[in-house]
Amino acid sequence: MISFSQVTKRYPGGHEALSGVSLAIEQGELVFLTGHSGAGKSTLLKLIAAIERPTSGVVSVSGQNISRLSRRAVPYLRRNIGLVFQDHKLLFDRSVIDNVVLPLDIAGFDRRESLKRARAVIDKVGLLNREKAHPVSLSGGEQQRLCIARALVSRPALLLADEPTGNLDAGYAADIMAMFRDFHQVGTTLVIATHDERAITALGGRTLHLDHGRIGEVPA
Amino acid sequence: MIGWLRHHRHALVTTLRRLGTQPFTTLLTALAMGVAISLPSGLYLGLGNLARVASDLPAQPEISLFLNVGASAEQKQAIAARLKQPDIEQARYVPRDQALATLSASQDLADITAGLTENPLPDAWIVRPQASSREALVRLSDSLTKLPGVAETHLDSQWAERLQAALDIGRTVVWVLGGLFAIALIAISGNAIRAQVLARRDEILVSRLIGATDWHIRRPFLYLGALQGLLGGLAAGGVLAIAGTILQAPVEHLAGLYGSTFHLLPPNGTEIAAVLGLTTLFGWLGAWLSVTRALHQVEAAR
Repeated sequence: MISFSQVTKRYPGGHEALSGVSLAIEQGELVFLTGHSGAGKSTLLKLIAAIERPTSGVVSVSGQNISRLSRRAVPYLRRNIGLVFQDHKLLFDRSVIDNVVLPLDIAGFDRRESLKRARAVIDKVGLLNREKAHPVSLSGGEQQRLCIARALVSRPALLLADEPTGNLDAGYAADIMAMFRDFHQVGTTLVIATHDERAITALGGRTLHLDHGRIGEVPA
Repeated sequence: MIGWLRHHRHALVTTLRRLGTQPFTTLLTALAMGVAISLPSGLYLGLGNLARVASDLPAQPEISLFLNVGASAEQKQAIAARLKQPDIEQARYVPRDQALATLSASQDLADITAGLTENPLPDAWIVRPQASSREALVRLSDSLTKLPGVAETHLDSQWAERLQAALDIGRTVVWVLGGLFAIALIAISGNAIRAQVLARRDEILVSRLIGATDWHIRRPFLYLGALQGLLGGLAAGGVLAIAGTILQAPVEHLAGLYGSTFHLLPPNGTEIAAVLGLTTLFGWLGAWLSVTRALHQVEAAR
């Protein structure tokens, strides 16, 4: 589903975030990305979602070459990818349900159908009683779960999560990881950047370790 | 197709809600646009009314035909015969003695004529032609000049030509002003939209990240620009209506002094539609320029 072939990403200013990375992730896999901060985990995820373009090498997602993807085609790629951000990227001027419904509005779904789907997802992440609340009144863990709900509402085949449990205490982190396991079990491909070792051992799955922009497989 | 319509309805509803949440800003922008547009359109209306005054005035062009002092009797008879032809509506002979007598009768000139040793005035005909078009008048005037015994002719339609020329300049000024204020309108709209785009920076970034196309992001801003333009056009209509109401009484008073029942005419439906259409278009255009530029800036700054 995802393949990197000799991918190098150099940022303006000369910092090389990824150096000659090659990897392949199959459909339905659960993959953890580990490594110290600045090792290139976020860059790798951004390349998959076409938020960044590789300096050299080929990134391909669902058979599409990301380097050659036109600006027009990028939105349609992203509609098939759920993104969970470390900083949530919620919209604070609208309610929980309006945040979750946003991807469906963008994709042009019928409003009533959208709201039904959004409620189902909000229920799944345990925020149903906070539907009308504004994100500002939510705790860090609730905000993270809201971000996950928004990533999942359009039922993407691929979910990318950047430090989804980064700022959370152990209880919340375990909840969220359990949620990811459920999605994995229904066939979603997940790529999760984290350094939460407990989560990795709890969920199993494959681990890719990044070190100064170079990649290595960690034997399970 | 249904999705597309849904997008548009959604964008329109969002836009209306945004306008509603910022009534003061909306009102100010609409007023700025309205005042800007009311200047050229007001001038246009004024000129239209003035042109109506010009066409209402009795248009009776006259040709004055001055004979040579030494014109022979035959020549004078030939001229008189020529002036009986059907292209002349009316011709009045003014002998030189009568002309001098008329001149002397006028008090201001009596002193001057009293000092004359002989009559310097020629015999003359005052001719009212059948034709009224400028070309026909000039042609007739030229042909009369060529008659033997005619010293010169004087086509008395200059005031009408001068008024026409002045109106033409006025119309050109309307177009120039209209162009300038169209640019101003684009700038006002663009500026208002730029502020909106910056205020919604986060929303734009997040929307892009979860699969919004450029058009999806632009759409509400374009609606906003177009609606602002439309409100600006309506505001201009309001400004002109108030100005018209204030001017109506003094204009009718002035017309009354000339014995006329003239009154100011408001713009017709086509003109109103044209102004509203154009302001909407220019509001949209300003929004388009602004949002396209801002989109690239917002993404570059990410």
